[in-house]
Amino acid sequence: MAGRDFLVFVIRRIINAIITLVLLILLMFVIVHVIYPTPIALARLYISGAQHITTQQLEAIVKRYHLDAPLYIQFANYLRDVFTGNLGVDPIYKVPETQLIMYYLPITLTFMIPAVIITVLLGTVLGAIAASNRNRALDYVIRGFYVFTWSSPPYFIAILLLLIFVYWLGPWTHLPASGYVNPLLPPPKPITGWPLIDAIIEHDWPYVNSYIIHMILPTASVVLYSFGIYTRMARNTMLDVLDSDFVRLAYAKGLPRRTVVYRVGLRNALIPLVTLMVLTFALSWTGAYVAEDVYRYHGMGYLVTTAVTSVDPLMIYDITLFVGLSVVVANFIADILYGVLDPRVRIT
Amino acid sequence: MTVQRQVARGFWASLWYWIRLIAKDPAGLLGLIIVGAFVMWSIIEGSLQLIGSYIHNPALGWVLLPHNPFKFGPPLHPPSLTYLFGTNIEGQDILSRILYSIPYSAAYPAFLVVLSAILIGAFLGITAGYMGGWWDEVLMRITDAFLAVPAIVLAIMISILLKASFTGMIYSFIVVWWPIYARLFRAETLRVKAMDYIAAAQLYGVSKVRLFFKYLFLNTVDPIIAYAMLDFGNVILAASILNFIGVGLQPGVPILGEMASDGLSGLPGAWWWAVFPSVSILIIALGFVLLGDRLQDIIGGRAAY
Repeated sequence: MAGRDFLVFVIRRIINAIITLVLLILLMFVIVHVIYPTPIALARLYISGAQHITTQQLEAIVKRYHLDAPLYIQFANYLRDVFTGNLGVDPIYKVPETQLIMYYLPITLTFMIPAVIITVLLGTVLGAIAASNRNRALDYVIRGFYVFTWSSPPYFIAILLLLIFVYWLGPWTHLPASGYVNPLLPPPKPITGWPLIDAIIEHDWPYVNSYIIHMILPTASVVLYSFGIYTRMARNTMLDVLDSDFVRLAYAKGLPRRTVVYRVGLRNALIPLVTLMVLTFALSWTGAYVAEDVYRYHGMGYLVTTAVTSVDPLMIYDITLFVGLSVVVANFIADILYGVLDPRVRIT
Repeated sequence: MTVQRQVARGFWASLWYWIRLIAKDPAGLLGLIIVGAFVMWSIIEGSLQLIGSYIHNPALGWVLLPHNPFKFGPPLHPPSLTYLFGTNIEGQDILSRILYSIPYSAAYPAFLVVLSAILIGAFLGITAGYMGGWWDEVLMRITDAFLAVPAIVLAIMISILLKASFTGMIYSFIVVWWPIYARLFRAETLRVKAMDYIAAAQLYGVSKVRLFFKYLFLNTVDPIIAYAMLDFGNVILAASILNFIGVGLQPGVPILGEMASDGLSGLPGAWWWAVFPSVSILIIALGFVLLGDRLQDIIGGRAAY
């Protein structure tokens, strides 16, 4: 019975995720068609980098990409393209967008994944400490700290880390100011397309070492940017849990405070926090863009900033679509995980 | 614990009542001071700039500033008594540039975006919550699609599609900012809808418009105002992130995010160039966060007052 319930739950979530995916793609489609209402305007978007373009050339593009077809046919084509991973060719790089994203994405993910994991671990622990010391000095210190990081612009955090750990403490920390790896090191042979993994496969330890050292500051700035909102919610969740009956029962049984808070309380507070990981993941995209801009780290954020300066709307459009899709998928995984951890969720 | 909330009569009396209520908490007081200073400065400096630009006399715009924010002086002068926050590479006084840019880079975006988002969100959210049915279903699915993409990422895209100007940035923010408010208004409407006075109003035959404004909007707006206070800070931060990346800049107008981004190039030597504009954004956002938190405590009834 329980197994069947779970299956129904998973299928329902899959359908939900697919609906959201299609709606997201529809949303992106509508936005572009509202801003570029005519086929000619759309054609201009597709060749945004080119300056001198004749009307005949524009009309050729309209014909070639069926930009004058009825909207539902265009949408069907677009939907097919997105699901087959065909996001078009970038007008400036002259390379398929998917290929560009797949080249730069691993570099961003190498610091974003550790950043999300550290944020979640740190946020949960700090939230639990703050909640269990409610309205005492420790609580105020933690809350004060996250209110500050929360209200500071993410680039300020990155700039401060750069100033302190590279420029002022540089002789002691030996942290680099920019790039994702020492440019003098020869890159590993591409096997997976993910430089770090490739270097590990080939036992290229100097490369791995340089890669990790370059990761430290971007990771730290993304963590500091996104841990505030997470800690706040962890604290609130923990407060709710600590107010509940089973915690009172644990106290009544005579268990010591430490056991009650960190065994009974934290374990039950962890479950709703799974959903929050997705929020952290979504939030980190912004942090990653900014951190990459400050540290000249050549990943997705670098793609975005170069697209801004070279006025390449198509690139930004495709990256946004990709980020949106990744968040929907992350959301779906979190939903399933939530269902695994907390059987009560499966009923709804 | 139920607390009787006194109702003060008249606008100024109730404003004073609210200020005293907020100021009972030190964090709330700090937020109130920062936000008050920010609002007053934006009104004064913003209107001076408007007058100055209308009669083509820019001097009127910097009547309150220590220096002319556009005048060149000693480049990269460290903070001193003449240049409190130092100067940038062109020798322009950073303090004056910060003060000059506050209305443009913080007050206008925050005010325009949050107000439009509240209005759009109220209309869509209240109608969805009240009517239910297919309208509710369609609207909630659309807000889900919006919320799937991080707001700032979506805003970057839309303002680049809209040619990246300052007005383009404001429009892009309005497009991505309303869904949260629609959600909040819908949730509040669902709570209020079951109340007796709504049923009484319906029985009484109140017109739809009156029902919407007087009975639904005014009764759902309280917690949303507290959220909006926090959100002013969010919009200011988000706008500065876009400006930092290079989106939504206005030629000839200093903008805080852009100043920080320029200052990055002078970092090891001239730290003041990037740090002071960023700190000023931090302080403004902090004010709104503290004030919004305190308001949420009061309206949500969690604070002891």
